Amino acid sequence: MKVLQSAFADISRGLRMRSVWMALAREDIGDQHRRTTLGPVWLLINYLAFAGTFVVIFGDNHSMPHFTAYVATGLFVWLYLTEVITLSITLFTREESFIRGTTLPLTVYVMRLTMQSVIRAGYALAGCLAVLLFAHTSLTIEWLWSGLALAMIVVATPAAILVFAIAGAFFPDLSFIVQNLMRIGTFLTPVFWIGPGQGIRGAFYRWNPFTYFLEIVRQPVINAEFPTRPFGICAIIVLFLWILAALLLGLYRKKIVFVL
Amino acid sequence: MVSIHADNLGLTYRVRQKITLASRTQRMPAGGRIEEVGRTRHVTALEGVSFSLQAGDRLGLVGANGAGKTTLLKVLYGIYEPTNGTVTIDGRVDALFNISLGFRAEATGRRNIELRGLINGWSRDEIRTRIDDIIEFSELGDFIDLPFKSYSQGMAARLAFSIATSFEPEILLMDEWIGAGDPSFQDKARRRMGEMAEKAGIIVLASHNHALLQRTCNKILELEEARLKTFCRAAEWFEK
Repeated sequence: MKVLQSAFADISRGLRMRSVWMALAREDIGDQHRRTTLGPVWLLINYLAFAGTFVVIFGDNHSMPHFTAYVATGLFVWLYLTEVITLSITLFTREESFIRGTTLPLTVYVMRLTMQSVIRAGYALAGCLAVLLFAHTSLTIEWLWSGLALAMIVVATPAAILVFAIAGAFFPDLSFIVQNLMRIGTFLTPVFWIGPGQGIRGAFYRWNPFTYFLEIVRQPVINAEFPTRPFGICAIIVLFLWILAALLLGLYRKKIVFVL
Repeated sequence: MVSIHADNLGLTYRVRQKITLASRTQRMPAGGRIEEVGRTRHVTALEGVSFSLQAGDRLGLVGANGAGKTTLLKVLYGIYEPTNGTVTIDGRVDALFNISLGFRAEATGRRNIELRGLINGWSRDEIRTRIDDIIEFSELGDFIDLPFKSYSQGMAARLAFSIATSFEPEILLMDEWIGAGDPSFQDKARRRMGEMAEKAGIIVLASHNHALLQRTCNKILELEEARLKTFCRAAEWFEK
């Protein structure tokens, strides 16, 4: 109980300091593109280049009529998840001087990264919508389920960041392990191949938790239906992530400073 | 009424063997004594430190490097949580540890004041109220609207000092006395620090500069290998 109280104290203080992490996140995005002519529009171009390459190289709209929309939505979610997870691992190491020199709650750093990732994803989302428009995907009321799915992913983001950031602080090699796993994950997750299928591909489709985060956003757009089972699985994963994150935060928030 | 009451304060932490394939070069985040029990190593960074300070007290922390001065300051500030004893603080605590922390090279001086203020916990209104004084004190003039990266070292130090000393602390913690800039600014900075010290309810200053401590402090706390060696009136300590 004391562990959870400690975690909630950090989280509530961090949320109250939203002006800090919102300002820092905006500066981070600005700094990354300050000298470029196109600025953050590069985030949109990067997404379009990536999605365009997948559609042109692997495109098969004859056997799979919604292939362009399938790749556009799947890639959008996958790129977001990859970025959040790989940046989380080194989060507390990057914030070392702040953690050693200020009393800011750890939640401030977590929300700073969440905010950065959401801003970046906003540009990619514009690209995703443009591709869907280009592919003549019908706009239906079921798209609202995709909006709910995106909200669910955003809610899961701080929890996932906390879990990976704490793990990364104690286990620095995790950074390289996760980078490689996420690279391999692009092929083991149904980003551009269609599941479930049989054999090993079917197993990867069913047992890969990322599959369900892609499907809750993708299915309402492509099939105009509410993906009940994927939503249920994602809700359980999000709940589990938050419980784990709260426990880890409560246990380690005052110990992180000694392992950096 | 501001006060600090530390009772049998202790900080011990385990040196975690990070699970890594890289060579093991371990840094200790705080000083202190290392004790090995089997394969586990513990660092005692503070042990049995008790003292009380009331409004008007100026405490000088002395001791060799690694004796625990910075650790004690960080415990009082709340960065480290004590593992033994209690510390009861009445009053808002401000610290001047690393005054250049968090400055952004690409942002203007003005934007850096806003960001630094937010990090310090100031409200937007407080930032608005203080910003003109900070700019004036820093003597940056029109440079304030240029990127921080275009500043000379002296200009950057002046801005950092002006922001760091623009509040009225109830309890002020300092790891060495701070100063900045060219000789004329240093005089101004010295006066500002003096005024700040006068206004503060309590000051805790860690320093190796005995002349400064003699001039500033009325009490001395001496640490040796993480333990309290002496806590007495400054005059008494300097007579020894």
